[in-house]
Amino acid sequence: MSTMTYLQAISSALRDELRADDRVLLMGEDIGVFGGAFKVTDGFVEEFGTDRVMDTPLAEAGIIGTAIGAAVVGMRPVCEMQFADFISCGFDQLVNVAGKMHYRQGLAVPIVVRLPSGGGFSGGPFHSQNPEAWFMHSPGIKVVAPSTASDAKGLLHAAIRDPNPVCYMEHKHLYRRVRGEVPDGVFETPFTARVARAGSDLVVITYGAMVQVALEATEDLDGAAVEVLDLRSLVPLDSDAILDSVTRCSKVVIVDEANSTCAAGAQVAALIAEKGFEDLDGPVVRVSTPDVPIPFSPPLEKAVLPGVDRVKEACRELLAY
Amino acid sequence: MSSSRTDTLVDVTMPQMGVSVAEGTIVAWRVEPGDRIAADATICEISTDKIDTEVPAPVSGVVAEILVAVEETVEVGTVLARIATGDLGVPAPPADPDAPAPPADRGAPAPPPGPTNGAPPSGASTGNGHRTASDRRRYSPVVQRIAAEHDIDLSAVEGTGRGGRVRKQDVLAFIESAPEPPMHIESPYRPDPVPAAAAPAPAVAPGGLSRMRRQIGEHMKRSLETAAHCTSWIEVDMSRVEEARIRLGLTALSFVARATIAALREHPALNATLEGEEYTVHQDVNLGIAVSLGGDGLIVPVIQGAHELSVEGIGARVKDLARRARARELSADDVRGGTFTITNPGQYGTIMATPIINQPQVAILDLETVVKRPVVITDADGNDSIAIRSMTILGLSWDHRALDGAMAAQFLATVKRLLEGWTGS
Repeated sequence: MSTMTYLQAISSALRDELRADDRVLLMGEDIGVFGGAFKVTDGFVEEFGTDRVMDTPLAEAGIIGTAIGAAVVGMRPVCEMQFADFISCGFDQLVNVAGKMHYRQGLAVPIVVRLPSGGGFSGGPFHSQNPEAWFMHSPGIKVVAPSTASDAKGLLHAAIRDPNPVCYMEHKHLYRRVRGEVPDGVFETPFTARVARAGSDLVVITYGAMVQVALEATEDLDGAAVEVLDLRSLVPLDSDAILDSVTRCSKVVIVDEANSTCAAGAQVAALIAEKGFEDLDGPVVRVSTPDVPIPFSPPLEKAVLPGVDRVKEACRELLAY
Repeated sequence: MSSSRTDTLVDVTMPQMGVSVAEGTIVAWRVEPGDRIAADATICEISTDKIDTEVPAPVSGVVAEILVAVEETVEVGTVLARIATGDLGVPAPPADPDAPAPPADRGAPAPPPGPTNGAPPSGASTGNGHRTASDRRRYSPVVQRIAAEHDIDLSAVEGTGRGGRVRKQDVLAFIESAPEPPMHIESPYRPDPVPAAAAPAPAVAPGGLSRMRRQIGEHMKRSLETAAHCTSWIEVDMSRVEEARIRLGLTALSFVARATIAALREHPALNATLEGEEYTVHQDVNLGIAVSLGGDGLIVPVIQGAHELSVEGIGARVKDLARRARARELSADDVRGGTFTITNPGQYGTIMATPIINQPQVAILDLETVVKRPVVITDADGNDSIAIRSMTILGLSWDHRALDGAMAAQFLATVKRLLEGWTGS
């Protein structure tokens, strides 16, 4: 065990994989000499060389398309989108080529696309988004979103070793704020949900940075035993764990940092409505970002993103119901 | 209260509460002549065939007369009271095509005129479409499911949610507050008996057997006078049942009941009633289970359509009926129509009994304690050895008027075969 930040855990997983498997290579904008916009790959080019830590042009379609080709011939590329927002430029390659290759040609595309996502630092509309639901809606792509340092490492190992294209949602706000014990060496975290805190009166279901918000908001909620379920994986979605929590708690608050409409939490709500109806003791409540772009203005950004106070209030309301 | 000529009198009669019940006793009247009563509101309490129950008013109206006094016992069908319906003495307005639209509640009887009749309509008035607060209560899916599983009347549960809403926690707390008495304990090991008190005080005032005791006594004596009782016993190796029982968390009774039902389907002559010279074999098995009410007596609720249930289903129904019997919540439907009865006083370590047939049925099966005994078992090659097995003795009392010993023996052999070869279901 060693203590790492979320960012160090991601670096550690990449380094371990590069050392363990010659097929693994990294591609992205400024990830080589500069060490990445967030310094995830700081020092990598010195250890692994420019053939395995490749600086690319500012062309997301080119990065992902090249990675797909490399994967088809047996490599295990890991692409970094400098910001998750930029994935829209590479959308066609990811959604139409990578996601459907197995169905069309029977070929595996074992690529990982790292998506530094999320807001909270006045990054504005192009540098703060949570686009994971786009890929949940697109068959053939797995989507994972760690909330702890340990899961950041374990999920990245599992993603690189998975034979499918995987979108790895790494939350920028957690990079240096979240720190935790991480097992040494390579370990794979399964694509399943995790009970971050057990409870019985109400469950907050969420993932990514909102797990931290949910834990803080419900730490002391008038003595209520509030469960927090960290989804960790959005595709596949761990419906058993979700329904178990619903059975236990009967009251559900779902928190998304993403824009509300058709967010991951909307899918969770639909699942509960369909499969968990007889266990419900109140309406399924969602807390999410309204359907607006993320503003630059710090007070406005604070107003749109779900925070501790909003989650607290939603939980209090539902507990009293 | 005067009645106009437009009144109609509706009879309230002593209801038929069970197949063998011929009469009932008035325990209390809830109304007096002249009182208004809404349809389905309780008009009186009666006691019949071990069940205390309430008689609902068949219609809304005013109690015109009460014909049977408290403590009086009358035959089923006897008129107990009459309820006057109609416009109750209020003169009907003359028919006038230009008259304004009638009030919405004209279909229901008009309220009694003024202070001459002080008693307000009892309970929730349902006659005029107005709904009371409790009618408006809505329950979430989980609350309804838990209530259904535990057979809880949600109107009795206090709600602590917003606006008095019943939350899951409320219904769970309600269940917690009323713990179920344990069912039969299978272990033969008992603590030392408590030394008897020096001079036990009589539980009932001298000279006063409780009504339930009197009724049980009458039933038992009548059965012994009516039927030609014989009792046959058979020894059964319950080892396989014990294994399944522990695995499924059920009592041996559920398994014996399941095997009995299957045996009754093979030997329908025992799933029958004999009333006078009329011997009726029944298709469905409505299985009576004798439930002890402690010092108060005994009651035999019936699992209707028991042949359609699995062993788990029987276990759940037995538990439910026993709980409701002890909570005095059985309805008349729960005790009617039995075609065969099982009694199970096994928890005290007794091993044999001669049960009395529950009239008008023709047989009753007795399950006592399951105990470990050394027994001789023969393997497939014919070699004998002594083994420790969980054994019980099933006793069948049967009516020699309807059956002969061979039929009883064949039936018991079938039950034994099913229990010893238990393979699930």
